[in-house]
Amino acid sequence: MHQIVAILAKEAKILTRDRQALALLFAMPAFFILVMSYTLEGVFQGGSKSRPVEVAVVNLDRGGLSREVISDLRGVEGIVILEKVKGIPLTQEKAEVLIRQGKFPLALLIPEAFSERTMALSMDFHQKGAVTFIHDPATSVRLLSGIKGTIQGIILRRVLLATLPARLKKAWAAEMGPFAGYAGPESKNMEGKIDDLLASAGKKAGNGPEVAFLSRPPRGHAPGRFPSATEQNVPAYTIFGVFFILLTLASSFIQEKKEGTFQRILSAPLSKATLLIGKLLPYYLVNLVQIVLMFAVGVVLFGMKLGNPAALIIVSLALALAANGLGLLVASLGKTEAQVNGLSVFLAIILSALGGMLVPAYIMPGFMKTLCLFTPHAWALAGYQDVIVRGLGVRQVLSEAGILLAFAGLFFVFALWKFRFR
Amino acid sequence: MSRKEPILRVEDLRKKYDSTEAVCGISFEVRPGEFFGLLGPNGAGKTTTIGMLTGWVEPSGGRVEIRGMDLYAGPRDAKRAIGLVPQSFAFYPALTAGENLTFFGRLYGMRGKALEERKAFVLEMVSLADRADQSVGTFSNGMKRRLNMAVGLLHEPALLILDEPTVGIDAQTRNGILESLRRLNLNGMTVLYTTHYIEEAQDLCDRVAIMDHGKIIALDAPRALIQCLGKGIIRMEFHDTVDESLLGRIQAHGGITRVDAPRKRVHLETDRTAAVLRDLLDLKKNGQLLFKTLDVMEPDLESVFIHLTGRGLRD
Repeated sequence: MHQIVAILAKEAKILTRDRQALALLFAMPAFFILVMSYTLEGVFQGGSKSRPVEVAVVNLDRGGLSREVISDLRGVEGIVILEKVKGIPLTQEKAEVLIRQGKFPLALLIPEAFSERTMALSMDFHQKGAVTFIHDPATSVRLLSGIKGTIQGIILRRVLLATLPARLKKAWAAEMGPFAGYAGPESKNMEGKIDDLLASAGKKAGNGPEVAFLSRPPRGHAPGRFPSATEQNVPAYTIFGVFFILLTLASSFIQEKKEGTFQRILSAPLSKATLLIGKLLPYYLVNLVQIVLMFAVGVVLFGMKLGNPAALIIVSLALALAANGLGLLVASLGKTEAQVNGLSVFLAIILSALGGMLVPAYIMPGFMKTLCLFTPHAWALAGYQDVIVRGLGVRQVLSEAGILLAFAGLFFVFALWKFRFR
Repeated sequence: MSRKEPILRVEDLRKKYDSTEAVCGISFEVRPGEFFGLLGPNGAGKTTTIGMLTGWVEPSGGRVEIRGMDLYAGPRDAKRAIGLVPQSFAFYPALTAGENLTFFGRLYGMRGKALEERKAFVLEMVSLADRADQSVGTFSNGMKRRLNMAVGLLHEPALLILDEPTVGIDAQTRNGILESLRRLNLNGMTVLYTTHYIEEAQDLCDRVAIMDHGKIIALDAPRALIQCLGKGIIRMEFHDTVDESLLGRIQAHGGITRVDAPRKRVHLETDRTAAVLRDLLDLKKNGQLLFKTLDVMEPDLESVFIHLTGRGLRD
């Protein structure tokens, strides 16, 4: 144990004297959080023609109105309507699962008898046709409100068109009473009358829209808030920064090989395992300090709420382990400092981009979303967002933490297989 | 362990890298208090041997015993007896000399006052006492070499193993290091060191193992090895590669006991150095033997090596 402490103390001293490396580890992600939170908001808007947002639609209605609504929605730029996944029509349960898994940011649930209820022109809110939006609380509020607004507008327009004749008839009957079927000289002023009638019909309908719009997270999620840009960016750029430990860790190993210090250390009475643990431990601790500092930036500067601390700690411990495992893997694959530096930067940036740290995964194309799941970053972000945005606790983040540990295990196994002290 | 029992016993030690055999089954012993040299040209297998003797390189076969303990079966106890001074500057340039020593001392379980006293002692010994708080990155090569040795000595090893400790330093530092080694040895420390400097091995070592191509080709006290040869060596260098007819002309000369011709050189062994030299110069004057240079070597470890391998140590 005292040997591990000795190696740890030595490594910590060397680390603290390499100010440039420390600046890279701490200042870089903090800088990213500050700048990107403001400048990358545009990316979070998504839903553009070039990057349409996929909306899952579950239509339980058998009437024609819902079919017309869906047909209208299909013509809207910036969204893609999906009623089937892999050829199988979506059910409400399936849609909820897909939202929970982050496959879709939003699902639209059209209930049974939607057409019938809407056409009944009921003034009672509970009798109106109601459409439900099911959304991932971690989805950008700007993206969601834009998409939902568009969908609501399309639905209301279609409903208005469909219900117009019935409204007219109803309003006319109310105005003319027993003379509704008579076409006398009053019909000359019909245009003006219709306007008045529609206005009065609207008032009688309670000034509300013809369709009720409900919004909720998928079942199994606590009713969450929408994430702010900070809640998106702080965990994402923290993870981004945590994986930059690859560079420092791997080049430190190469340096030791080059200087011959591994040879000298291993001529002392200690095992290779002791050396590795002592060598990795400070980098693991640096990662944890990084996470604390980055989250402190979120809390202090942006008022971010952290959620369950135990759950955050679990995700953080697993994340740092995965980052250290990957660092050792890079050290075991690179033969020179230049190789290790190149590979570290490449992996740190590419895996971050793939994992949804720079651009949210839900606005990525389908295959990128699949690739995303093969990065530890994506699972770490999911874990953090479960806690910070969705308000979940320890039990719910165990799966993400478990997957991160599996990544760590995989990295360590490959690294130890390939690693040579010489 | 009795006084006569070797501190280091190496049996049929071998190391193979893919198809290349770097060390081909060497065996030797180092006795307590002995100054033992491994002499050989670059690539002879000395560093690989040192690596295997310190547990750094895993051997492909054979056995290493340190103070009767199998290095590979119970490495911890065996390693406590070894102090390594590798060829490279194996310490941390970002740390001070004192911090480096503290770190390596702790690896051996040293701490507190004992560690501080020992640090002061070894720094004094290598004349770096006033540099203890200076960052090693600012040290000259000579200072780094001395610190390298101080680290190896820190835990008072029974066997100090040095791999080419005088490479790349000025004559003054080199002499200082060699003098320190001599003193340590006189005080009872066993020293095993590798070098390709003949004079060092000849001056310092009680016994020398001469290595070439992964094998020990001779092992004895330097004087015994030289006496065994007992002949002078004349070395000639030619402009072109030496051919058979030229060799024949030289061989035909009286008093030559052996001729080797690596590339453009010819080595002659003779027990009548002066007469043979005179004849060779006559041949040159007559235009029959157009050599570029001619050296006459008194018998030493270099001539022993040439006698054994047909090559010089620095060829």
